[in-house]
Amino acid sequence: MHLVVQAVILGLLTGGVYALMASGLTLAFGVMRVINVAQGALIILSAYLTYTLFVHAGLDPFVALLVITPGMFVLGMLLQFVFIRPLRSEDREELSLLVTWAIALGIEGVLSVVFKTTYRSVNTGYTNATWDVGGYTITQVRFYGFLLSVAILGLLFLALTRTRIGRAIRAVVQNPVSARLLGIETERVAAVGFGLSAATASAAGAVYAMVYPFNPNSHYDLISLLLTIIVLGGLGSLGGAILAALFMGVAEAVLAATISPTWAKLTFFVALLTLLLIRPQGLFGVKARGAI
Amino acid sequence: MSLLQLENVVAGYGFGDVLKGIDLTLERETITCLIGPNGAGKSTVLKTISGLLHPRHGSVRFEGEDIARRRPRAVLDLGIVQVPQERSLFPLMSVWENMLMGAYILNDHREARRRAESLAERFQLVRDRRTERAGSLSGGEQKLVEIARALMLDPKLLLFDEPSAGLAPQARAQVFEVLGSLRGGGWTILLVEQNARSGLSIADCGAVLDAGVVKLEKPATSLLADPEVARLYLGARRDPVGVSTNRPPERPAASTRVTATRKEKPVE
Repeated sequence: MHLVVQAVILGLLTGGVYALMASGLTLAFGVMRVINVAQGALIILSAYLTYTLFVHAGLDPFVALLVITPGMFVLGMLLQFVFIRPLRSEDREELSLLVTWAIALGIEGVLSVVFKTTYRSVNTGYTNATWDVGGYTITQVRFYGFLLSVAILGLLFLALTRTRIGRAIRAVVQNPVSARLLGIETERVAAVGFGLSAATASAAGAVYAMVYPFNPNSHYDLISLLLTIIVLGGLGSLGGAILAALFMGVAEAVLAATISPTWAKLTFFVALLTLLLIRPQGLFGVKARGAI
Repeated sequence: MSLLQLENVVAGYGFGDVLKGIDLTLERETITCLIGPNGAGKSTVLKTISGLLHPRHGSVRFEGEDIARRRPRAVLDLGIVQVPQERSLFPLMSVWENMLMGAYILNDHREARRRAESLAERFQLVRDRRTERAGSLSGGEQKLVEIARALMLDPKLLLFDEPSAGLAPQARAQVFEVLGSLRGGGWTILLVEQNARSGLSIADCGAVLDAGVVKLEKPATSLLADPEVARLYLGARRDPVGVSTNRPPERPAASTRVTATRKEKPVE
C-alpha cells in the first residue's frame, strides 16, 4: 500500500507536467486545427536552451525561463507565419501534420549537430533533494515543476478568459466563421495562439531537463505520450487534457511501481485503444470542435 | 440618398457566376425582404455586401461610397453587420459573453457592457438567461440572441440570412416578431427569407431574386397581393396577412440548401 501511495504522489507530480506539455498541443489544435507534432521537439529545444544557460551562464532553470519563454513565444509566432499560414484552410489539418513533422525533424537535426546525441541533464544543487512527508518521499525538483505547471496553466486559463486576445482565441475555436464576421482577425489570433502554445513548451522543457536525461531524439517519446493524452482528453479540450495527463501520470507511476516500468509505457496505448473503442471523441471532446 | 445601392453586381465562386447583374436599392430605415427559389443567389447577395465575397463586376455603394472591394472587417467598421444562416453564437460562452463579443471591434469593455445592459432591457431572453451557456439554448432562442448581439455595434445596416431556417413554427414566429419589432429603431434591414410570406409580412419592400437577377422590386404588400408572385414564389395560396405559423410550402426543386439546413440542426 505504501508503495502504491508513493507511486500516486509521483504520478500526480509528473502528470502536472504532462498537463502543461499537453496544454500547448491542445491549444494549437483548438485554435487552428493544427496537430503540432513538433511540440515534443519544441520541448526538447527548450530543454537544451535551459541546459545551455545553466552550464554556460550558470542560470538556474527556473530563472532561465524568464528568457526562454518569450523567445519560444516569438519562435511559435514565426513558425505559424512561415509554415502554417500558407496552408489553405480546407486541408490544413492534414497538411499541418506533415509540415510540423518536418519542423520536428528540422529541430532534431539542428540539435544533433550542435549538441551531438549524447544524453545530457541539468543537475542543480537541489536535483536530488527530497522531502520526507509522513514516510513518503517527495522529490523537490518534481514538486517545483508541478507547482510551475499549475501556475502556468492558471495563467493560461486567465489569459483565455480575461483578456481580449484570449476571448478572441476562444471565439475562433468555437466558431471561426462567426468570429470573422464579428471583426476578429483570425490569422492574427492563430499566430498568438501558436505562440502561446510554443511558450508552454519552455517551462515543460525546463522541468524535463531537470528530471530526465535527454538527447535530440527524446521528442519521439514525448510526442507519442502527448498525442495519447490529448486524444484521451478530447482534442481541443484544455480541461480534458489536464485530467487525462494526471490520469496517465498516475497510471504510469503505479504500474511502474507495482508491475514493471516496461509495462508502464504500454498503459498509454492500452488506455488509448480502450477509450477510442468506447468513446471515440475522447473523454471531454465535443464531437468535432474544440472546447477551450 | 439611399443607404445601399447594388448596381449590375456580378459575383460567384470558382468559375461560375451566381449573381448575374444584380440591381438593388435599400432606402434608409426600411426592411427589405429578398425572396426567391433555392440557388437563386440570395445568400450570395449578402456575402457580397459584407465583404466575404468580392464581386467581379459592378458596384456596391454604401452611403455613396463604393465598398465592393473591402474586407469583412472594414465593412463591419462602416456599420454593416451580418447574421449568417448557420448558428453563429459561441456555444461554450455564456449568453452574456456572446453579447460582449458582438462589440469586439469597439475594444472598449465598459462601453460594450453598457450596450449589452441596454439591449438586455429590450431582449428578455438575454436578461433572463445571461449566465447560461449559449449552446444550451434552443435553436430559436439562439437566433434571438444572435439578433440581439448584432445590435451591439448599433449598426446602420443589418443583414439577416434566413433567420427562420430550421426552426420550429413557434420559434419561427418569435423570430419574425422580434425582427418586425426592429422597425422604427433607426436600422435598415436586408432580410433573406425562405419563408417568403412571413418575411414579406414584416417588410416594407420585397425583391424577387431568380437565377441571379432581381426579377421584381416592389412594396412588400403588393408582392404579397400579386397572384402571379404568389403562384411562382410563395407557394400555395394562403392568407397573406400576419405571420404564418404553418409549415411553409417547399419548392419542388428543393436543392441542397434545404437538406443542408436540416443536417445542421443539432440535437436539442
